Parts: sequence; structure tokens; C-alpha cells
Amino acid sequence: MYKFTLSIRYLIRRPISYFAVAAVALCVFVVFVVITVLTGLSRDFKQKVYLSTGDCVVYTKSLVGFGYYDEFIDILRRQSFIEAATPVVRNYGLVSVTETGGLDAYGQSVREIAGIEPVSLSRVTGFGQWIDYHKNDVADVFRPAYDANLPGCVPGIDFLFQRDQQGLYHTPGRAVRAAFEISCVPLTAKGALARAGAGELNSKTFYYSDHFEAGYSLDRRLIFLPLDDAQLLCGMATGYKRITHIHIKFKSAVPLNRGTEQVKKLWGDFIATKAGAPYENLLSEVQVQSWKEFSKVIVALVETQQTMMIVCFALIGMITVFIVLVVFYMIVSHKSKDIGILKSVGASGFNIMSVFLNFAFLIGLSGSAVGVLAGWPFLVYINQIFRFFNFRLWDPQTTSIGAIPNTIDLTVLGTITLCAIGASVLGAILPSLRASRINCVDTLQVAQL
Amino acid sequence: MSTNKYIMEAQDVHKSYRMGQTQVRVLKGVNLKINPGEFTAIIGASGSGKSTLLHILGALDRPDKGTVRFRGDDLATQSGRQMNRFRNRTVGFVFQFYHLLDELNVLENVLLPKMAGKSFAGWLVCRRAAKNRAKELLSQFGLSQRVRHKPYQLSGGERQRAAIARALMNEPEILLADEPTGNLDSKTGNGILEVLERLNGTGQTIVIVTHDERIAARAGRVIRLADGIIRQEK
Repeated sequence: MYKFTLSIRYLIRRPISYFAVAAVALCVFVVFVVITVLTGLSRDFKQKVYLSTGDCVVYTKSLVGFGYYDEFIDILRRQSFIEAATPVVRNYGLVSVTETGGLDAYGQSVREIAGIEPVSLSRVTGFGQWIDYHKNDVADVFRPAYDANLPGCVPGIDFLFQRDQQGLYHTPGRAVRAAFEISCVPLTAKGALARAGAGELNSKTFYYSDHFEAGYSLDRRLIFLPLDDAQLLCGMATGYKRITHIHIKFKSAVPLNRGTEQVKKLWGDFIATKAGAPYENLLSEVQVQSWKEFSKVIVALVETQQTMMIVCFALIGMITVFIVLVVFYMIVSHKSKDIGILKSVGASGFNIMSVFLNFAFLIGLSGSAVGVLAGWPFLVYINQIFRFFNFRLWDPQTTSIGAIPNTIDLTVLGTITLCAIGASVLGAILPSLRASRINCVDTLQVAQL
Repeated sequence: MSTNKYIMEAQDVHKSYRMGQTQVRVLKGVNLKINPGEFTAIIGASGSGKSTLLHILGALDRPDKGTVRFRGDDLATQSGRQMNRFRNRTVGFVFQFYHLLDELNVLENVLLPKMAGKSFAGWLVCRRAAKNRAKELLSQFGLSQRVRHKPYQLSGGERQRAAIARALMNEPEILLADEPTGNLDSKTGNGILEVLERLNGTGQTIVIVTHDERIAARAGRVIRLADGIIRQEK
């Protein structure tokens, strides 16, 4: 009992222990804020990538694409674990702005094009939420409001508009007449140039019918087109119709890995039925991957940055350990008489050690509490605080991150608190051990007082 | 159960300390026997080794050579745990500078030996009785009004009486006092001696260390220590 009593009294009565509490609190505050923001950035980014992909992708890296996709999508749609599946053609095109309509887009550039079926794509991905003017009628997303008969396209918002200093886009509120000529190099199913000697490019003019905002680099580089048009441009529409991707969404209760494995098996069974069929070789290049595998290059980059930052900030914890160690060495030196008294009434070395380890635990606990109590409101109001001081973590004109993520994760919070307490106790181990070994006769001698 | 008639017995006890480059021989073969209920004073000049002898008798320190027996049991054969228990239950220490813990109040200081000897659960079971015992001791020593005071709020005499109450908390078989009046004026010191005499009157075995002949004269038995050995006993 005296161990707890003495630990608490040392904490309250020894001003030097306030420095240790402050060190722990500062460390917890910094790590709590940094990890929350970094974890939030990483989580938001992964969520954006997931929303552009769905749960699973059946795809080929070949620009030739693969066929028989209708049959496989029918098979997929009959599966009980599949929520939706949609075909996509991904390719590259030369985009020439032929009518600007007062938008910021101009000139020529190479962009990615994605031929899609908007309704089924919006069931698999976040496409339905990304678009602006057709949220409630996704099926008509390629019909320009100013002339429904013109072929529409949906470029990324960053292709058409620039952000202001607050990072906001100023869209006209409705589609304005702007035209883009998109040219692609069509390939045959054998991979040869489909229009060799005849200009080599397929071109078509599309009109701005809507734009999308996915919240990351897609907004700059991708233009959505109707699937049929994309197939025509890429030479995938004639005879043996082809696509490059099938995006799949699982039912909500289906674990990602299990669902992906089931799709892999279905694909394996499917290509076995196509043995000897025309262009069956294209099927062998097809891969089935979960969204995490499919996006691992881009996600791994973010995760690596996050890990590096967390490791850097965890080093702050080492400083805390050192501060606690120094403070405890001083406290043990000041309290050697107390140690002698305790030993003279029968306290063991382990009991003495416990007094100081309890003390360290209390320092860790109270420091964590202070750090969390300071960090929590700081995180809740972090965007307002940064706005008030006109301080920017990044340039909103060039970065698609809107607000600083500040969603508090209780698991992260618990882990930081436990680590802080652990660091405190770790820092106190050597001084506590020293205290437990102090010879009480030395400390109780008159000459030592 | 030992049938040894002495409560404590030291045989050929040697102890030396290193001070810088030199080895200082403090005790050079001390032989001593304490009877139950005795009030023994060990007297000697400063540096004669009397405090060292007291520390060895109370198991705060170990002799380099020789044996110390408590009721016939050699303390050298005891484990660390048994030695802690011995210091906690069998002996009570009173120091010249009181050695009360500044962070605890008077009552908590007196309760300290009881708390040190119990686990958390054990303390919860006995705490009511322990508090009653502590308050009773403080009352005996005229400190009823000082229970919640901190040591720095007490006079020297009050602190020493609180220290004696702490030493008696676990009803030790032997009370060891190292210059208990050395830091007090003669009137207050006299009061402390009266307390010790009263305790001895109830059968408490007491060994007191002092350099003051007048204080030693109040004990039933006086042992004179000089140059690390017992020179005279009366």
C-alpha cells in the first residue's frame, strides 16, 4: 500500500516530476497529432483508390485487351458473393481541345481514357458520387445538357478547372459547350496497327457533359468516355470485341481475399472452357487481383512515407525515455534517505523498485492524459487553427487534399498511451534498480545527512 | 523452537569499511549477549563502532566475520526475504535524526512498518486494526493532535516520539535506538528517555547507543566500546 501512496506523493510533491510529466505529455501530443494526421491522409488516399477500383480487378496490361468479357461478366453477375461487375477499356489518347467553352483546358496533351458503362461502373466504384451534374441520372452522364445528341465525355475536374488559393474549384454549375478531339492508336486483336497506312489514328470529337472529382491524380489524367466509343477508338469494337479491365464489387460481408480467390478460380475455369477459341492467348495474359494488389505501387508509396514519418516521430519516444531516466536518477539521489528508511522497516529491494516503477507509471499515465487532453481539441479544431493563423501544410492549388484529416482513432490513441507509459517505465528501470541496491546503512549514517 | 536464553548474541563480530584507499577496521571482535527485557546502553566515543554494531544487530548490515544470533538463530544463514521480515517484525529502529518520510503524515509514518510487511490485499484486511494500533501509540506518546501533521510541522521531540511509535508499530521483540536524544535539547531528550524507560518497564528489550554518560546511566546495563572492542561492562 505504501508503494502506491509514496508514488502518488512523489508525483505531487516533487516539482522535478512535473518536468518528466511535461516531457511525456509533449511527446504524446506530438505523436498523437502527427500519427492521426498521417494515418488519416493514408486512409483517405486508400479510400479514394479503392473507390476508383472496386474490390477486385480482372485486367490485362496489354493495350490489345481481351475478349469474351460479356460471358465472364454474366458468370460473375450470377455469383452470390458478387454485388456488381463492369467492363472498362483503359488506354491512352491524344486530347486536343477544339472548343474551350471558357474553360481552363486548352492545347493538346496525352491523357488516359476510360471507356465505361456509367450505371454499372457507379455500382462498383465511386463514379456516381464523383460526377457533378448527373449524380441523380448517371445513365445520362454522357449526354451534354446543351445538346443531348452530341457524344459526351467526362474529364477529370483538374483537366478543366484550376483551384483557387483555398483549393476550391469554381465550376460553371452546368455543362458548357466545350469539345475535345480524342485520338487513339487502334490495335488489332493480334496487336498490329489496325489502321496501318491509313492515318494510323482513330479520332472522334466528344463534348463536355460533366466532370468528375476523385480527389487524387485521376482528376488530372483521366477522361471517361462511353464504352462503345472507347472500343471504337482503340480498335476493340470490330469482330472480336475486347476490353482491358473488369472491375468487381463484392457483397459487403465477403472478405477481400476470399472473394478475390473465388474470382481467380472462376477465371481459371472460364479460360479452360475457351481452350482453342480464337485469340485465347489474350486470356492467358489476364490477371485477377484485389484492389490492394492492383494499386500496390501507388498505395505502397503512401504507406512507406507514413511508416517513415511514424518511425521518425517514434524517436521522440526515445528522448522521453532519456528524460525520464535523467529525472529518475536525480529523484533517486534525492530520495536515498527514504530508501534507507524503507529498508530499515523491512522493505525489500523489489519493493523499493516497485515504488519508483509505480512512480514512473504514474508519470507516464498523467503525461499521456495531459498530452491527449491537449491533442484531442487541437485535432478537432486543427483546420480552424491553421486557417486562423493562415498556415498551410500544403499548397491547396496543387494538392487535391482538402482538409487536414483529424478523425481520432481510439486504437491509435490507446497504442500511443501504452507506448508512452511503457517508455516512462523503461526510462525508470535503471534508476529504480539502482535504488533497490542502495545500502541503507550508507544512507542513514549521520555523515550522509 | 530455540531454547536459547539470550534474545540476541554477537560473537567475535568484525567489520571494516573502505575509506578511499584505506581499510578502516571498525569492529575488531565484539562479543555481546542481550537478555530479554534488558535495557542496555552501548557507550563509546564518536567512531568507536557503536552505530555499526547496532546496525549489525538489527540486520541492516552484515559482519565481515563472526556471528549474530537472534534467539539462537544465526542471522547469516537467513535469506534476504527472512532478513526483511526480521527487520520488519522483530526489531524496531529509532535513529538520531528521526528519519521520518517527509511525504507521509505522522499516522502514515507510524503505519509504515505494518504496510511494508503486508501485501495490498493483506493491508486491506488489517488496515482498521493497524490504524487503531497506530493511533493508540500516538496517543500514548502525546501525539493525538498531530496525527495528520507532516514531520516538518513537528518539534524535534515530537518527531522522535513519532519515530519511536513507528518502531513499536509491529510490536518488535527488541528496540534498537541510535543516539535517540543526540539531536534534542536536554529537557526533550529526557522526555524521550522517560518514554524508553516506561517501555522497558513493560518488558520491552531495548539497546541504546550513546556517547553521553548521563544517558547511559539510565540504562540497566552499560557496555563501553572503544577501538572496536568491548572494554568494560557493568
